[in-house]
Amino acid sequence: MFNELGETIKIAFDAIRTAKLRSMLASLGVVIGISFVILMGWILTGLDNAMQDTFDMIGTDMLYIDKHNWAGGSNWKEMRQRKDITLNQAKDFCERIESAEIAVPVIRTRRSQIKYKGQAYQASFIGTVSEHSIISSKNIASGRFFTGFEDNLSANVMVIGHKIAETVFPNEEPIGKIIKIKGRKLEIIGVMKKQGTMMMDFVDLQCYVPIKKFLSIYGRDRSFEIAVKAGSEEKLDEVRDEAQGLFREIRNLKPWAKDDFSINETKAFEEMVKSVRTTVWSIGLLMTGLSFIVGIIGIINIMFVSVTERTKEIGVRKAVGAKKRSIWLQFIIESAVLCFSGALISLIMCSVLVFAVATILPQSVPEVSFLSPTLSYELLITASLVSIFVGIVAGLIPAVRAANMDPVIAIRSD
Amino acid sequence: MTDSNKIIIDIENIAKIYKMGFEIVHALRKVSLKIRQNEYLAIIGPSGSGKSTLMNILGCLDTPTLGNYHFKEKDVNFMDDNDVAEIRNQEIGFVFQTFNLLARSTAAKNVELPLVYGGVTASERKQRAEQTLINVGLGDRMDHKPNELSGGQRQRVAVARALVTNPSIILADEPTGNLDTKTGVEIMKLFNDLWEKGNTIIVVTHEESVAKHAHRIIRLRDGLIECDEVNDNPAHDFEIKEIIES
Ligand SMILES: Nc1ncnc2c1ncn2[C@@H]1O[C@H](COP(=O)(O)OP(=O)(O)OP(=O)(O)O)[C@@H](O)[C@H]1O
Ligand SMILES: [Mg+2]
Repeated sequence: MFNELGETIKIAFDAIRTAKLRSMLASLGVVIGISFVILMGWILTGLDNAMQDTFDMIGTDMLYIDKHNWAGGSNWKEMRQRKDITLNQAKDFCERIESAEIAVPVIRTRRSQIKYKGQAYQASFIGTVSEHSIISSKNIASGRFFTGFEDNLSANVMVIGHKIAETVFPNEEPIGKIIKIKGRKLEIIGVMKKQGTMMMDFVDLQCYVPIKKFLSIYGRDRSFEIAVKAGSEEKLDEVRDEAQGLFREIRNLKPWAKDDFSINETKAFEEMVKSVRTTVWSIGLLMTGLSFIVGIIGIINIMFVSVTERTKEIGVRKAVGAKKRSIWLQFIIESAVLCFSGALISLIMCSVLVFAVATILPQSVPEVSFLSPTLSYELLITASLVSIFVGIVAGLIPAVRAANMDPVIAIRSD
Repeated sequence: MTDSNKIIIDIENIAKIYKMGFEIVHALRKVSLKIRQNEYLAIIGPSGSGKSTLMNILGCLDTPTLGNYHFKEKDVNFMDDNDVAEIRNQEIGFVFQTFNLLARSTAAKNVELPLVYGGVTASERKQRAEQTLINVGLGDRMDHKPNELSGGQRQRVAVARALVTNPSIILADEPTGNLDTKTGVEIMKLFNDLWEKGNTIIVVTHEESVAKHAHRIIRLRDGLIECDEVNDNPAHDFEIKEIIES
């Protein structure tokens, strides 16, 4: 059986080689179908990675109490009418919450200008307290977060985002350097890791400063947020319940009133990514399905041609002792090899395409920077297996016809 | 041969009927035949008399419409496709009138073919195919494709393919039909040598000059055995072959 198999695979390659053009045209549908599988897998992998990065960055055990619902939510008008969260409310909450590991007040700016050596750059600022390091220390690439002492003193220190370090200090060590913000000089004491992803690439522009420093630079006329670290995913429900009750109390809400704040967590983003995923899936599946139908019809057709053309050969093989299953296997393998060759063409084409798109496109559309320039092994193996499966399915009927041929009639045909 | 009396092929009242629309063709009517080990048998008859039909049935390539066939005491009618394929592969070497070589494969690959389905390893296949080609005098044509060979050489490749599995029975359907006299004689010499080595030889022909090499001659006409006679004086006129070789 094994000795025969090697020979059979050789025969399949020979058969395809002798009819190159025809084989290529026949496998066109499969080539396109496999390409869709690969590209779909590539985009979905990118999305998944982006989602995972985002979750890791936000923290899967984190809750963020904010005036706004981060995932957009249904009613932004109602959200805009909500009252700002004040520093006192935030502080009050942080002191009283019991189930959480830690809760800290946070305040942010949108884009803001910084200056280094007379050159201006864009950055955004987060004011918070030193305890924030419990949440963010794992994201520090070099240096350190500011201490409680620096916090109380409103020291002139800051921790800068990855992108800031990259653009402002391309060839220098940022730590110890002085940056100017609205005329104030701040010393860099830490640099964050790269955390930006598709939906969250602004985070690498974020810089952390002590909350008092922040207020003295930007004033307190804005809504605070509260970052709550539950400690583990299992505790999320408990912490969310307590946080909601506690903050309603702090906000003086009547029992019948709706929450005038949102508790954000990674689940909100999960929903968002899921809908993108579903879209990619359904488009991809439709395209893949269509091209595979076309592809399978093409392969079935060409395999019937191949069987008919080689009727005499089948007769000869049977006459010298080929069993039905040997003939069957020969054509199944030929069909599988044909589709697999198609898949190889797709793999090469897609690799080039994917590399080009992932390196060139993000320059103008930074949102797609989550796409990887290479295809994963799992994807390549999946695509190959799918192609072989398609080949087997498409080859089935022609192979059965070949196997059931009457040797006497077959051998007489010309 | 100690068991030269053993009957290996035993057909009884074999008939083969083809239906062509409303017309019924009786290719074989009622043929009974016993063939013993190491017989050298010729089946002769005019065109359309049913020689090829009989040959295909004997070679387990075709099944009769009626009648029994016992091959080495086993009833072929009760064998499944795999068993029959195995008999074709192991027991019978079939030489076709029209060579029936695979056009895209070399002589060596063609000869290897039965061994592929016999489960022989690639290296042993190669070695046995080469040895058999040398035995039929084609040691220098291993890697030639059929269209690069003469008719006689092609027929010898076909013979080599029939011999490579060491079958006990050689069935040859008009093995010299497409050849000139000289190459025809070469092939007949080959069969004679095989018979001397103990093989059973069955040759179909419509030429008396070919049939007279056999030790038993069966005459077919209209799907019936007309006569079944012993040839006491088989021809040995292979001189031309010897002249060519020297
Ligand atoms: N597949 C078939 N369908 C219908 N009739 C057939 C078929 N094969 C053979 N026959 C008929 O059976 C008869 C015997 O054919 P067969 O091929 O056995 O003759 P033959 O003796 O080998 O002749 P030749 O010397 O020309 O090769 C012929 O009349 C032929 O027309
Ligand atoms: Mg004939």
